[in-house]
Amino acid sequence: MSAAREQILAAIQAALAPLPQRESRPVVPHGVADAQWLAGEADNAALFTKRATAAGTRVFASPGDCLSWLFENRAAEVYLPDSLRDVTARFAGIVDVVHEYSRAHVDEIDAALTPAAGAIAESGTIILTDESTPDRLAALAPWTHIAVVRKETIHRSIADALAALPDDPNVIWVTGPSKTADVEGILIQGVHGPGVQGCLLV
Amino acid sequence: MINLADRPKSKRVQLMATCLCDAFFDDVAKATVEVLEHAGCEVVFPENQTCCGQPAFNCGQWPAARTVMRHTAQVFAGDEPIIVPSGSCAAMMFHGSTLEFEGERDRAEIEQVGGRTWELGDYLVNGLGLSSWPGEFPAKIAFHRACHTRGTASGPAVLQLLQSIKGLEIVPFGEGEQCCGFGGTFSVSFPNVSTAMGELKLEHIRAAHPDFVVSGDMSCLMHLSGLAEREDRPIKTLHFAQILRDALHHRHGQATH
Amino acid sequence: MPCTIAMAKQLIDTYVAELPPTVQKAVHQSTAATTAKRYQLLGDDFADADALRKLAGSIRQHALEHLDTYLARAEESLTARGAKVHYAVTAEDACRAVTEILQAAGITKVVKSKSMVTEEIHLNDHLAKHGIESVESDLGEYIVQIDGDHPSHIVRPIIHKTRGDIARSFEREGLGDYNDDPETITRRARRFMRGKYLEAGAGITGANFVTADTGRLVLVTNEGNSRFCLAPAKVHIALVGIEKVVPSDSDLAVLLNLLGRSATGQQLTVYTEFINGPRRPDRPSGPEQMHVVFVDNRRTEVLASDCKEILRCIRCGACLNVCPVYRQASGHAYRSVYPGPVGAVLSPLLAGDKFQELADLPKASSLCGACNEVCPVDIPIPDLLLRLRHRAHEEHVPSPGTPPMAGFAILGSHPLVWRSAMTFGAAKDYLPLDKMPVPYLGSWLKTRTLPKWRGGKFRAWMKSRQHS
Repeated sequence: MSAAREQILAAIQAALAPLPQRESRPVVPHGVADAQWLAGEADNAALFTKRATAAGTRVFASPGDCLSWLFENRAAEVYLPDSLRDVTARFAGIVDVVHEYSRAHVDEIDAALTPAAGAIAESGTIILTDESTPDRLAALAPWTHIAVVRKETIHRSIADALAALPDDPNVIWVTGPSKTADVEGILIQGVHGPGVQGCLLV
Repeated sequence: MINLADRPKSKRVQLMATCLCDAFFDDVAKATVEVLEHAGCEVVFPENQTCCGQPAFNCGQWPAARTVMRHTAQVFAGDEPIIVPSGSCAAMMFHGSTLEFEGERDRAEIEQVGGRTWELGDYLVNGLGLSSWPGEFPAKIAFHRACHTRGTASGPAVLQLLQSIKGLEIVPFGEGEQCCGFGGTFSVSFPNVSTAMGELKLEHIRAAHPDFVVSGDMSCLMHLSGLAEREDRPIKTLHFAQILRDALHHRHGQATH
Repeated sequence: MPCTIAMAKQLIDTYVAELPPTVQKAVHQSTAATTAKRYQLLGDDFADADALRKLAGSIRQHALEHLDTYLARAEESLTARGAKVHYAVTAEDACRAVTEILQAAGITKVVKSKSMVTEEIHLNDHLAKHGIESVESDLGEYIVQIDGDHPSHIVRPIIHKTRGDIARSFEREGLGDYNDDPETITRRARRFMRGKYLEAGAGITGANFVTADTGRLVLVTNEGNSRFCLAPAKVHIALVGIEKVVPSDSDLAVLLNLLGRSATGQQLTVYTEFINGPRRPDRPSGPEQMHVVFVDNRRTEVLASDCKEILRCIRCGACLNVCPVYRQASGHAYRSVYPGPVGAVLSPLLAGDKFQELADLPKASSLCGACNEVCPVDIPIPDLLLRLRHRAHEEHVPSPGTPPMAGFAILGSHPLVWRSAMTFGAAKDYLPLDKMPVPYLGSWLKTRTLPKWRGGKFRAWMKSRQHS
């Protein structure tokens, strides 16, 4: 196996050796790929809300809004991790709440709230990490997933978010609900990931 | 390497008529001469010219292509701009030749020739500095920008001149940026694809009801008008040089193809 | 009009003639729509999208021209974070590496996320031979799998299928009675795949990029299938072509901003995942083991060739979508894993000593250059097609329908002969050309007329002016 490594690296070196000169590292100014309309947007939270909504994410401005929506949509069982207690204290009286999540719950739990690690205003993206998510399945398997985003963790641009990628083995950027257009190009939401992607801004 | 920004811009120019105009479209070559002269140029026509070699180059038969290009480089020796009424032949001169002469001893000599070559519209606007064209030509035209002018200044230059002509209306048509399907020997080695592409283009053009179909490349127009004529629904085609010339004489497309 | 000349035909040209119009129409509609979305979004979002494409091209070219450094650094970064890195020279080596990892872990069921390199190495067939069930989780790839078919587009694998086709396949597969409603089809796939994700011992993915500095594998999807491949399973195996390496996270700002817009007209795909290690021990879900298999499969040969720029490709599919030949032919016409313009360069090169079998692919192009215009990494595809045509000629690969140019070389370098031909060519207008055994002429005349011969007329006119 390390013979393969040596063979491949040697082949690469031999392939590149004849080049009279090699392409140098281009200078990539930090915001060079920012959308041109980003400059005119002052408020990260407002821009995030606009872009996330455009991507199909349902943005809740308060825990109360989120709770009303869950109630109206008759979410059967809602998973709320303990870490979100400060935000979701009132939920237990209105919807059926569970505080544990495991593989066994994949088919039973209809909706889940989990903390986000951050967000991106430019694209309306929610950032999840292993560190911030109690269980990968909790943010993925339920039909409705609502990420709780603290406003001060919203990055302005995609470039900013890349510069701040944490030391986490599983960082996921979520931009809207899961979808496919494989069947005749017709857009259907809710394939393998959540069919409803929500975001509670706090 | 050829830098298109370094091309010479004098008024004494050499004309490369192109093998297609030599064989089929003499009026386009004539119009090119008249247009250049109207713009104040002295036009020299080296009579030993033949072809830029593109047909052989496109087939991958590079030794044959180099033979032809070497002859062409000799014929057009000098310092003057070389003007050609074809985006495809111009691209062969300043781009294709650099590929086929990689590693050849006479690459620099070949690039000296390619590095003086201009497509006609590009030369009028960016070489001579023209921003408009006089006269009139009242007609609706569909303008087909040939693919080999992608990424060059030719398309915008030709449009700028045409748009300035009194009475000329340029009508848009669907999928205008898609290839007409000629592609040189592609047209005969892939006849089904080539024909399908051409028929799709004709369908879009016909929906816009132009009086003339205009381009800077006779190869595209030969393919489209050949298809149209075969189906007994001929179209009228013109090289933009003919429009410029006819506009001067207030004469509307007497010679068409 | 019947062609009276018997002549060998180009395979792709024949394919186009025989392609059902319904398929052609579906492909055309879809590719044209995506091309329009791409154009719109790039125009809305960037003052100079072309400058960005060229910058992305430099980033990729630089990475390729320092690949030994960056690949080794990526390996270090991944190893430091608990991933195990393997190298595979050939397709067989890569397949073997995968089965050894699975067998060592006692795994017989895997779920797969979409990966073109796994198609290249025929991974699923190999796994099946070793008694390992591998289920494709991407909806389009799953349908391709149950149909025993091949993807016809690198981003939209079933662009050539109708809802009726899919409904029949699902019924045959036992997913329910015939139902061609796209939403129903999708819900059924969701329900079915859930079971597969939960029982799989391993998730197999590809990667769009790997960053050298931090070892992050970047996966982009819309469905969420790659996320699900990496949640319940114990083992993650990623197969990554060696050319996918980029220097650092910051380079991704340019590449990710172009990838989604170029591929599907989206600013970002729904899910962009950055994965550089197995899960930490205190987490309940996620793979305990992460393996990355860097696959060569002749990429080093391509790197050594005069077509190395093709390795910049980030698999967005924009070139397929804009290509007028792809739109007429659809993906299966290319008889290989990678169709369209990128495939016309990459497939013959990856075929190695079977180059001749795919040497016709680079010829199936009018060299219009639309592919280069839309390429997010500015690959000069038409130049590469020309180089491959040259190579095919040098290797004496027969080329049906291509005129031999020896005569043309004589004509073009002997002005007296040329001028005679201009005069005598007038005979053309008096001959029954469509009945003459000149193959190339017949091919033209089948659907087109030729203009009247005017050879010598311009020269005479020019001469007479000079004398007056």
